Amino acid sequence: MEPSLLNTQIVFASSAPFIFSKPKVGDIVVFKVDDRIYIKRVKEIKNQRFSLNGDNKKDSLDSKEIGWINKEDIIGKVIYKI
Amino acid sequence: MKRMFDFLSKILPTNIAFAHCDIPCGVYDPHNAQMAAHTVLRMTQLLIDVKVPEGDKVENIEYTKHHNEVARMVRVKEKHGELVEEELGTLENDYFKEEHYKKFPNLKKLIEKAVKLSIKTRQTIDMDGTQKMIDAIMEIAEIFYKTKDLVPVRISSGYPTGGEIVSHK
Repeated sequence: MEPSLLNTQIVFASSAPFIFSKPKVGDIVVFKVDDRIYIKRVKEIKNQRFSLNGDNKKDSLDSKEIGWINKEDIIGKVIYKI
Repeated sequence: MKRMFDFLSKILPTNIAFAHCDIPCGVYDPHNAQMAAHTVLRMTQLLIDVKVPEGDKVENIEYTKHHNEVARMVRVKEKHGELVEEELGTLENDYFKEEHYKKFPNLKKLIEKAVKLSIKTRQTIDMDGTQKMIDAIMEIAEIFYKTKDLVPVRISSGYPTGGEIVSHK
């Protein structure tokens, strides 16, 4: 996620922003796939499903295993970076 | 503000979030989508040509064998149609970048067209639609090789379906 987030950086994520609205393109979100938690940016929304990519262009190729995510898999939005 | 979040980070539950799901391989190829599309075409041809047992003396086992044969062909057609969608999704979401879509303005529509046809050709027995899906995937493959500064070429597929596939010089 560099340069937006650095390795080992601490962030606060909350589900509160998604109580009344849905994730938007550009949001950095925390989500769960197979009991593993990931952090990426929403790239595209299609049919209520979300495509997520990293910011680091060189490494963002690695999202191919994740694919499209359902809203219920999104845990929260990053609201603060320490 | 920072002090408050520093404090909160010490008392609230924390989890590690990963930004990478696996090792970035960088290995992409439109070949799999093309091969899967030709498999859909082949299964469609076989399903059109399949012979239904006829006559008064046909035993039940002949019908069962026929249903088994058709079921297997439909399963392979379905599986490879899904593979087309999956392979194109990987190219769309992971390989092609904003600059590619800008340089090749028809790329997005070509991918959408091919994915829609991969669904339609699963739902139906549609030779024309399957050929159109192959044509769209070949155009995507040509764009793919151009983004890698390779010269795309259309070569004989060598498959029982005939036709061509896109490779590069």
